[in-house]
Amino acid sequence: MIYVTDGSFEGILTAIFDAYVNKEDPESIVSLGLYQVSLDSAAREISTDEEKSRRVYNAVIRKMSQQAIETMYKAWLSEYREIGTALYKYIKIGLKLGPQILSYLQNPDVSLVSGLADKVTFEAHRFLGILRFKKLTNGLYYAKIEPDNNITMLIAEHFEKRFSDQPWIIHDAKRNIFALYDTNQVIFINEDIRIDTDNDKDIIFEELWKNYFRAISIEDRRNPRLQKRYLPRRYWRNLTEMH
Amino acid sequence: MHLLEKLQILADSAKYDVSCSSSGSGRGGKKGQLGNAAIAGICHSWSDDGRCISLLKVLFTNYCIYDCKYCVNRVTNDIKRASFTPDELCELTVEFYRRNYIEGLFLSSAVLKSPDYTMELIISTLRKLRYEHKFNGYIHVKSIPGADLNLIYQAGLLADRMSINIELPSVESLKLLAPQKDHQSIIKPMSFVSEQIRGTNELTIYRKKQMFVPAGQTTQLIVGASRDSDLTILRLTQELYSRYKLKRVYYSAYVPVNNDKNLPAVYTSPPLLREHRIYQADWLLRFYGFSADELLDEKHSSFDTKIDPKCDWALRNLDKFPVEINRAPLETLLRVPGIGYKMAQRIVRARRITPLSYEDLKKMRVVLKRAKYFITCKGAYYGDVDIDSGNLYSLLSEKTDPKIIEGQISMFD
Repeated sequence: MIYVTDGSFEGILTAIFDAYVNKEDPESIVSLGLYQVSLDSAAREISTDEEKSRRVYNAVIRKMSQQAIETMYKAWLSEYREIGTALYKYIKIGLKLGPQILSYLQNPDVSLVSGLADKVTFEAHRFLGILRFKKLTNGLYYAKIEPDNNITMLIAEHFEKRFSDQPWIIHDAKRNIFALYDTNQVIFINEDIRIDTDNDKDIIFEELWKNYFRAISIEDRRNPRLQKRYLPRRYWRNLTEMH
Repeated sequence: MHLLEKLQILADSAKYDVSCSSSGSGRGGKKGQLGNAAIAGICHSWSDDGRCISLLKVLFTNYCIYDCKYCVNRVTNDIKRASFTPDELCELTVEFYRRNYIEGLFLSSAVLKSPDYTMELIISTLRKLRYEHKFNGYIHVKSIPGADLNLIYQAGLLADRMSINIELPSVESLKLLAPQKDHQSIIKPMSFVSEQIRGTNELTIYRKKQMFVPAGQTTQLIVGASRDSDLTILRLTQELYSRYKLKRVYYSAYVPVNNDKNLPAVYTSPPLLREHRIYQADWLLRFYGFSADELLDEKHSSFDTKIDPKCDWALRNLDKFPVEINRAPLETLLRVPGIGYKMAQRIVRARRITPLSYEDLKKMRVVLKRAKYFITCKGAYYGDVDIDSGNLYSLLSEKTDPKIIEGQISMFD
């Protein structure tokens, strides 16, 4: 049996709930967008249910730990193709093992989910540093990002605390996700909004920053390979100092 | 002078200070104010020398009354000179910070007129930043050697981290290369700051929290400007960590900028590999339970270029290996070449659930290239040669281009 979900985290948790209630052991839990009809296995369409997903969510916290549900959620943000199945296997092991699941890395199913979560955590931390705001004519600070993982939800709180007195927008241009902060609260929007991204006269600070970036490098230690290892090329596009 | 040119001159003069870290301070933000500090530190960019950029690192001025032979800003050098005003520095810091270019400011300075005069300029800049601009971001400030201790105290109340650079690892090299500075003018403020940090921490238990250098104190040693050995450097480091409770000691491979009979010739390339080995050893002192005298001794006073200090130690202590991965205590696992802090902890936690096989370690993404010669898993040895065959040195030698060295590892701070 293949379970087909809408691909959301809640959808996957709903599918896991149904699997336990139906006493079925689906061979995979896939997202509708990635599902290819197979002649060998029957498919069941799962409709996302808030109550069911909440019950699984709470069961994970109760039986495993808060950290276990966070690991699962972060792994989901990696957008790994087979994340539904991976989370299902993770929960099956966790329900037997309890809180120790976080340490059970010799198990490939646990190691997979934990590794995905690590990757997401790492990239989220990286973006706390490499996100760049432009100051727009209307006084808004605007940042465009194109991360490998869907990290906007993870990083918004940091910028809310740090820049509590300045309105800002973080725009994940790959996924069309916006985090909007009006100096009061952050809201997330997942639809196209038009933003006029003209710089204001403060563009002088971009020039000063680029200048600083060049001046701080020690010529006798030039080592572009080391630089690229810390800061892979794919991130350079949205970095002020690289243009 | 245009701000652009000033920034260029005063960043260029500051770049030989290698410290870049923005960690260790949990200074909170306030609603409606600007900024906070992240306890783990955040890197914002990497320059093309592969070094992390976290703070706006500049000198207040590069006009200097001193004539230290190793320093690019010595009074007798014919270079472009500039000074910021406190307002210019505040504006740069705040505008860079709001665009998320930086974690904060690292402010150092050459000595203008006198140490006290310079320190006062620095303090007035920090005051403006903290009180007028309501800036709660990270500030690392240098104490100027020879400045009044009261001024250093005032700076410490405004900053997250302070440092005073020892630069030359022995009294003899200091006399030779920086005759106007004396050892006391560096050690005195360092020990003063370390006492104040301790005192403040004790007081905060029953008084409203007053922050004095919450991210602690650091220093820098120059590698390769003097004849001091790795052993001299490492023993000094150990003392700085234990006696003065420094948070970090940084090492800077000397880039020859001046001609002097007592210095390496200009065009000598900086000893990057040596610097790298000393950083590795520094890590072993701080997180792996090693002491300086285990890693080096009088007969063996510099690090091997081909193998890292932990491998080097292990090869001289083969009687302690192999260790059983399922039984060795954490502190023993930490001494296995190739097993880092994070992996050692992973192993200890995982083996409580089931005993670990060699395959299990691979699944846990433990790097076994070096470790396999020093461990057994459930009693079995997986090295392709015997541990006492005498072949390990050549097998463990790094064949990589020494240019692709790690640089500063930024995992802990």
